[in-house]
Amino acid sequence: MKSYQYLIDYFENVPTIIQVVWISICIFFVSIVILTIYLKFLRNKLRKNEKTVAEYQKEYESDLITYLYAGNEEEEISAEQQIIIDKLRSCASDEYKRRIIVSTLLRLRNEISGEMADAIQKLYFESGLISYALKRLKSRKWYVVAKGIRELTQLRVKEVHDKILMLVNHPKKEIRKEVQLYLVTLFHFDGLKFLDILQTQLSEWDQIQLLEVLQRFDEQEIPDINPWLKSTNESVVAFALKLAKIYNQFEVKDALIGLLSHHQKKIRVDTIHVLSHLQVVEAKAILKNNFDKLSQEEQIEFFKLLENLCETSDEPFLLAHTTHQNFEIKLSALKILKSLDFEKYKSLKDFSTDLDYVKIYEFLAYN
Amino acid sequence: MSDAKKIVLAEDNSTLSLLLKFRLEKEGYKLLIAVDGKEAIELIEQHDPELILTDIMMPFISGLEVISHVRNKLNKQTPIIVFSAAGQEEMVLKAFNLGANDFMGKPFSPNELVIRVKRLLR
Repeated sequence: MKSYQYLIDYFENVPTIIQVVWISICIFFVSIVILTIYLKFLRNKLRKNEKTVAEYQKEYESDLITYLYAGNEEEEISAEQQIIIDKLRSCASDEYKRRIIVSTLLRLRNEISGEMADAIQKLYFESGLISYALKRLKSRKWYVVAKGIRELTQLRVKEVHDKILMLVNHPKKEIRKEVQLYLVTLFHFDGLKFLDILQTQLSEWDQIQLLEVLQRFDEQEIPDINPWLKSTNESVVAFALKLAKIYNQFEVKDALIGLLSHHQKKIRVDTIHVLSHLQVVEAKAILKNNFDKLSQEEQIEFFKLLENLCETSDEPFLLAHTTHQNFEIKLSALKILKSLDFEKYKSLKDFSTDLDYVKIYEFLAYN
Repeated sequence: MSDAKKIVLAEDNSTLSLLLKFRLEKEGYKLLIAVDGKEAIELIEQHDPELILTDIMMPFISGLEVISHVRNKLNKQTPIIVFSAAGQEEMVLKAFNLGANDFMGKPFSPNELVIRVKRLLR
């Protein structure tokens, strides 16, 4: 009691700043003790949870493997398989267990193909797990819907195509992305038909992901992309242009030429790029005649097209643009002239006194 | 069962390991399962198996290191089949350069794996 009194007297007699420091030290100390106890509790809880998950996972893994090997040719579902189906059906009513069952199915489904993969999908249907995924599609929470679609994609459930397609214009972009991946992963190029009804924008990242999925498939027969090139949704047009380039869709050249008068500059520039890649000669005359009406980006892209499709008859046009105000155009014009006829190129040394011209000329002459 | 040919399976996906264990044991082989490359090397040194099945991407020691260890350190010509996922083509080439005998891209058919195992152990 005496020592407590001494501490109280000490505290009362020290300056205020020291009192504040002592109070802060006490608060911090108590907080650290509370947080340490909480972290220990949390760690134990997580470890316990991890252990429980591992136990359930082991049990369901064993059930799954037994199910896969319990089939026989006489019955569609053997008695042993039916016992496992019933067990999983009853476990699936508990959300915690259902999550573990689905992750166990997915872990194997992603690694194997053939009859066993089909058997896993059958188990997914028979055990009623699919009905929970379908219920998720009706959830008000966007992330629940997105996870439901992802589960159906990973388990290759093609039967719910129409239900998923209805979400293609969902206001939440994460859901739209999952819908698109579902359609393309399961239906390959046919899945791209969602582009016909897509009203929202397809982001650059969405486009990259779709192209990545499409490139995984062996069959590379692409459907008619003409309607998408004429779409009122500009992101669909941009995506169709990428498809035209990657899959060398020369047959859509008329639609591409039509896009040269598209109201959006970015589309026009991308179109010239694709026309250049496909080496559509007709585009050259059209662009050359309208050259002065083109934006600078289009003019630069046109010169890149000329690098692919130049002929001797283009020489006067190229010569006229060796003194263009834009450096890239000047460089491109001189580069093409050099590739057409190097002897003639040498005679252009004193064609202009423009500093850029002289530098480019010298650089190209010796490189 | 004691005469059964031994196969070491190095795979970090326990469900796939269990499936392949059941399938290959049904064919009369004895399966020794490792969850990572480190365990695989221990099992190989301890049991001298007739065949090795290994995933490329594994914790601690990769499938490539397992192949290198078998071929260069243990100087063994045990047939090795590697499992690879999509996009690991370069890894597969490296595996062949190190001495792998065959590869299977995931997802694969367990029945096809059995055929390849039988061919290599003929």
